[in-house]
Amino acid sequence: MSEGILAKVGQWFKIMRHYGGIKNTVLSLYRYDDLKTGNFIGADKYGNRYYQNTRYFVGRSRWVQYADRVGLDYDASQVPPEWHRWLQYITDDPPTTTPLKKYPWMIDHIENRTGTSQIYVPYTTVPPKIQSWQPPTPSTTTQNISSTKSQLQ
Amino acid sequence: MSSVQLKRLLVALNRVKQHGYIPKCKQSTAAAAQPKKEPEKIEVFVDGKPIHVEPNTTVLQACAVAGVEIPRYCYHERLSIAGNCRMCLVEIEKTPKPVASCAMPVMKGMRILTDSPLTKRAREGVMEFLLVNHPLDCPICDQGGECDLQDQSMAFGNDRSRFTDNEFSGKRCVEDKNIGPLVKTSMNRCIHCTRCVRFGSEVAGVSDLGTTGRGSDMIIGTYVERLFMSELSGNVIDLCPVGALTSKPYAFTARPWETRKTESVDVMDALGSNIVINTRGGDVLRVIPRTNEEVNEEWISDKTRFAYDGLKLQRLTAPMLKNRDGYLVPCDWEDALSVVAERIGRLGNGSKMAALAGRFCDAEGLIALKDLMNQLGCETVCVEERFPNVGASIDLRSNYLFNGTIAGIEQADLVVLIGTNPRYEAPVLNARIRKAFIHNDLQVAVIGPKIDLTYSYEHLGDNTNILSDLASGKHAFSKALNGAKRPLVILGSAMFERPDAASLYASAAQLSEKLRDVSSKEDKEWRVFNVLHRNASQVAALDLGYKPDVKSIIDLKPSLLYLFGADEGLIKREDLPKDCYIIYQGHHGDRGAKIADAILPGAAYTEKHGIYANTEGRAQQTHVATTPPGKAREDWKIIRALAEVCGASLRYNDIDEIRERIEQVAPNLTRLDSIEQANYFKQNIELLKQHQSSFHNQPLTPPINNLKDFYMTDSISRASLTMAKCVKAVDQQLKSQHRN
Repeated sequence: MSEGILAKVGQWFKIMRHYGGIKNTVLSLYRYDDLKTGNFIGADKYGNRYYQNTRYFVGRSRWVQYADRVGLDYDASQVPPEWHRWLQYITDDPPTTTPLKKYPWMIDHIENRTGTSQIYVPYTTVPPKIQSWQPPTPSTTTQNISSTKSQLQ
Repeated sequence: MSSVQLKRLLVALNRVKQHGYIPKCKQSTAAAAQPKKEPEKIEVFVDGKPIHVEPNTTVLQACAVAGVEIPRYCYHERLSIAGNCRMCLVEIEKTPKPVASCAMPVMKGMRILTDSPLTKRAREGVMEFLLVNHPLDCPICDQGGECDLQDQSMAFGNDRSRFTDNEFSGKRCVEDKNIGPLVKTSMNRCIHCTRCVRFGSEVAGVSDLGTTGRGSDMIIGTYVERLFMSELSGNVIDLCPVGALTSKPYAFTARPWETRKTESVDVMDALGSNIVINTRGGDVLRVIPRTNEEVNEEWISDKTRFAYDGLKLQRLTAPMLKNRDGYLVPCDWEDALSVVAERIGRLGNGSKMAALAGRFCDAEGLIALKDLMNQLGCETVCVEERFPNVGASIDLRSNYLFNGTIAGIEQADLVVLIGTNPRYEAPVLNARIRKAFIHNDLQVAVIGPKIDLTYSYEHLGDNTNILSDLASGKHAFSKALNGAKRPLVILGSAMFERPDAASLYASAAQLSEKLRDVSSKEDKEWRVFNVLHRNASQVAALDLGYKPDVKSIIDLKPSLLYLFGADEGLIKREDLPKDCYIIYQGHHGDRGAKIADAILPGAAYTEKHGIYANTEGRAQQTHVATTPPGKAREDWKIIRALAEVCGASLRYNDIDEIRERIEQVAPNLTRLDSIEQANYFKQNIELLKQHQSSFHNQPLTPPINNLKDFYMTDSISRASLTMAKCVKAVDQQLKSQHRN
């Protein structure tokens, strides 16, 4: 309270400038329930934007604003690994200044797909206990005989 | 009290009203009819407790009467006494040394001490000697958990051993034997009780197993590497008190305490052997016998024991319909039932419809199918096995039952086998005949080919004339036959396939009736005429009014044929009109499914509550051990659902209601575990008199006459890999230089 009401109002304008207008500020508040100002560090190719403000204590001083296209469906797993290590204070060097080495075998980052149509469902690798009878079809008629013969041998 | 219980109580009360009592099976009539003079009982003292036992009982049996269990390895109730394991040592007062109680007959005033320090020390000593040469491989032994040696060393053994093996010379080592694809041997574990050897030579009647060497060098084996050629070989697995003989297909699959046990009934032959099905996680792991003195004692055949892996192969797991190209494709129940019902509806009435029931059908499915077919106007509802239409035929139950009962064989003094090979048609029954042959001097005569039945018999020839010769008294054997006090005539059901089945049946029945006249002087209740069936469903089907005439289906030229588990291939596609629609309901993709246009997957005998009547007419029920696989359902439920779609009304919705319906048609089928006696032999003979005998000249040969053909006879055993291995092993054995 020591800074007085003017400072608060000043802070308000700062935030507004940071987010770019009243509309975006309200939208941000709606998405994150929080309004933070800080330095823009960089963005990844998915559209997530990363900020830092060392005025906050460690643990709160780095944050991400998820890409606009995800709306309210943002999820921590949308952060790619190179930004994850900066965001979680594993390193202080963001990938914008010290990019990680890229190997040809590396695949693109995939977010957690639980709750979507592409959800991962575990399946059994054990052979089925009951083997069904395969009715004769033109292609299997010859195969069936040879497979039962090989089972016997 | 639930409504079901109330209903059952009412049914019971109704029976009491009808009969004045709840009818129960009549057992061992002959024993009751012949009051023997009771020999005087001997008084002995077990641990000071006085008991009275008959003379000639052993000390071990006397202790059992007194409620004291004596530990034993070699002694077994159904085998001869060997007395070589020494585990049953007890102290008897005024004897210098402990005595092997299994081999010691009781004497007057004997004072047996089963709990004395001397007895305890004797047992500990025997256990110590046995364990000196027994490997410590319980953790990897299949017998673990059901091992007599484990149990008895815990109960009677010492807690320490003097076996130190400072020289590192190791324990006794014996080479494992390969005695076939069913029994796995691990001969290091053998404790030389010789139960398996005695079983082979006494019960199974094959002398393949034997001993070589003596003392600690004794070895159980087959002398040269050869197959244990017996249809009862699996029983040595149960007999072996340790893990020396274990099941090969079951090896390393489960521990006994992990499995769920379901008491059930076997359907591989018409005996209805009592079995226990062990399952884990919906998987049948093994089948073991359950003691029933009236049926199978404690033996089961190898097909019963080992064909279970056929239940996991070649199964029908989804309904199927033919597509436009004429190939079967899986579909939903809704589609299958509506298409089948539409096909049935298209016929208008049932006059051009037919149904054929196979060998594994339970009474519930049979009654549901018959009710459905009858309601649709179809009367051609047949069962696969035939029965001659002569005299009263199947109208009298006594005509198609094994009237003398299986246990009755032990009271018989003469058995005539006509055109049957019980060794492969009903192995456990054959073991019973052999038992009577050994212990009761049973005389056996065979009309049929000369075959190895494991006991010696009078071979009368394989000619049809012999029957009439015997009946008229012209035959050389007639004298022995007419002198018999309790004869049994056993007619094989395979003979009903012959063109002269009617004459054959009539002459066998007439011969039996003649013998019954003689035997009735001795025992009024004695029944001579017996039919030995091969199919588990046959008696129930005949009780429920199925026609035993496959040919009538072919003669009808049906437009729609309902195959209910009919896999014998008696009806071929060529025998039927081209546009005939074939529906197959069953559990295996076998001969029936191959010719079908629509397939409705049913449940196998391990997957349903079903009533089966064995060849003596004894109704027994199977229980659910596992659920039917995939979309398969219990058979009567499928038929009930189909009836609903067809618009026919079957008035039962659960198992109790369908059993009430069975009770209406054939009440004997719902009186489980009992035999309802069948009579009217005289009346049948009167009717048979009109029959003009005419025989064909072909010899009376049963279809299965060697072990190789025994293993794969039905849709389950044909799908079984274990059974296929057995066939291969027998084939190799017959080619080897060590064949008999």
